[in-house]
Amino acid sequence: MKIKRLVSILLTVMMLTMGISFASAEGALEGQTILIGNIAPMTGVIANYGTAVDNGIRLAASEINASGGILGGTVVISTKDNQFTPAEAINGFNALLSEGAVAIIGAIASSVTSAITGPANDEGIVLITATSTADSITTEDDYVFRACFKDSFQGRMCASYAASQGWTKAAILYAKGDAYSSGLRDSFVAAAPDYGIEVVEEQSTSDTMAVDFSSQLATIAASGAEVLFAPYYYDTVGPKIIPQAREAGYLGAIIGADGFDGTQDVAVGDLTAYENVYFTNHYSPEDPSEVVQNFIAAYTEAYGAESLNALAALAYDAMYMVAQAIETAGSLDHDAIRDAMAGMHYVGVTGDMTLDETGTPDKSVAILTFVEEDGKLVQKFVTSQH
Amino acid sequence: MTEFLQQVIIGLRIGSVYALIALGYTMVYGIIRLINFAHGEFIMVGGYTLFFMIPVLMGFGLPAWTSVFAAIIICAAVGVLAELLAYRPVRKKGNRMTALITAIGVSLILQNLAQAIPFIGPNPKAITQDIFQSGRIDLFGVNTNWTSIFTIIIAAFVMVGLQLFIHKTKIGRAMRAVSENKAASTLMGINVNRTIVITFIIGAGLAAVGALMYCAQYRAVMTTMGSMLGLKAFVAAVLGGIGLIPGAMLGGMLIGLIEALVTAYISSSLANALVFVVLILVLLVKPAGIMGRNVGEKV
Repeated sequence: MKIKRLVSILLTVMMLTMGISFASAEGALEGQTILIGNIAPMTGVIANYGTAVDNGIRLAASEINASGGILGGTVVISTKDNQFTPAEAINGFNALLSEGAVAIIGAIASSVTSAITGPANDEGIVLITATSTADSITTEDDYVFRACFKDSFQGRMCASYAASQGWTKAAILYAKGDAYSSGLRDSFVAAAPDYGIEVVEEQSTSDTMAVDFSSQLATIAASGAEVLFAPYYYDTVGPKIIPQAREAGYLGAIIGADGFDGTQDVAVGDLTAYENVYFTNHYSPEDPSEVVQNFIAAYTEAYGAESLNALAALAYDAMYMVAQAIETAGSLDHDAIRDAMAGMHYVGVTGDMTLDETGTPDKSVAILTFVEEDGKLVQKFVTSQH
Repeated sequence: MTEFLQQVIIGLRIGSVYALIALGYTMVYGIIRLINFAHGEFIMVGGYTLFFMIPVLMGFGLPAWTSVFAAIIICAAVGVLAELLAYRPVRKKGNRMTALITAIGVSLILQNLAQAIPFIGPNPKAITQDIFQSGRIDLFGVNTNWTSIFTIIIAAFVMVGLQLFIHKTKIGRAMRAVSENKAASTLMGINVNRTIVITFIIGAGLAAVGALMYCAQYRAVMTTMGSMLGLKAFVAAVLGGIGLIPGAMLGGMLIGLIEALVTAYISSSLANALVFVVLILVLLVKPAGIMGRNVGEKV
């Protein structure tokens, strides 16, 4: 009897203290404002990405605030336009520091993000990029994390998919001066021998702003390649690379990475040119899982379906990852948030992920393609590769 | 061999656009010794006119390329406005340096104005319609596309037409006279100001034709589209000998060919750099450009 009573008292005390500690934790940030910065290209050639990411972050923030905020604190988002330039990203970063941001999400393109990873480490503030896939982004700095997979993984998955389709002769077209494009090229070249793929032709441009690829594509068409790996962004892929490749007489498969997302909105001319084009992405909107479908419904209701893409989903996840880290840390202390972020396990729209020691998650990729439906180009899910 | 010919056609296509735009630089320079840095922005104005007019004209059942006439009118209007509101008042009061700075100012105003207009904005817009016949063609075993063929043919026609205009018409003769000696032209009863306005109209109109070719091939317009294109065309004009109409044509074609062949056979990422290397080498040997004669500056 005595023991039973003792146990029950002990249990009650434990439950009470737990309740108290819960209550105190819940209110740890009661009434406080939690300023999260977002640095994204809101104008310029990849403004589509900036808009999607900003929407994703704001959607997550409003959901978090609607369910009581983070430990009682209200999330406020401050967005800085980087105009797709490293200099503006640094300006935005400094502005956010002086505004008192506790963590920063950004930037979009790896070439821009790499300008602010060093400063983030020096200032000791968590920087999580939703979409920058260049390998080097998280390797140097302790305060830098990401929600997406890295290029060497994407390049490898592209090679793996090409091999699974029986394509063994590959050509590459990439932008030498762009971290994203050349990073993907390096990983594709490194992975190719593992999958029995021979790189028969390699062509490049100095940056991603090039408009004329006909010379390069004519050489590639003559090389007998069965698959063309072209890691560029949608604004170049849609109106330029794909139509120019078909006009140059290259009719084989064209494969790329997540930068192809959005191509369907800028496709031009004869849409049959966009057949036989594949790309890796972070998630597929056709995934029937509840978390994905809920996200799509909420996003579409708030911002419409037009700007919805994988980047919005990643940004949405990045915001929730920051929220989870702050909740674990129990305070707005920059170092506590960093420690909570490191090695975190998180389940979101873009999959089940665990951050490795560099701050990059281990997760699966989706392979997508384009098909013509009612005179419009749409994305179609092909398979999931891990 | 067929691959080489294919690269030559690509080079001629790129060069045709450069040549048309270089003509605009060179004609204005020839007549008022002004490097019109806003010329690149005339291309942008033409591009956006095409972007808005193509759906309208196609709605009336007209082919997409007919929108170039609207673009020529709008570009000419912008060119005349730039001359009347900015260049002429500055030319009266200031010197050549102030005129040059004004040209840079006009360029920035046009570019930023376009970005500020809500339905244009800073983001690129795709031209989804085919301007010329789409697809590839087999030309004596050389694989190319219809856009290239049309671009080269139209450019050739325009250049021949311009040459005839300059040499066979009264206005053409007036333009040559004004570029030779402004004061003497006035004494001969030539209306110098009107001749300058006509030069701007022709230059801007050529930029509109260049914009049509740009849009047909690259299928997108953006507010900064004229910057690099204008710079390359300016280089073409200098290479050929600025102020000389045949020089601009030759310079444009040469730069297009160098770009295509360097990309294909040397290094695709060195193309831009080598264009400038060629420019420097030519200017070291012939400072006035390939077709230019070395004449002492009149003081």
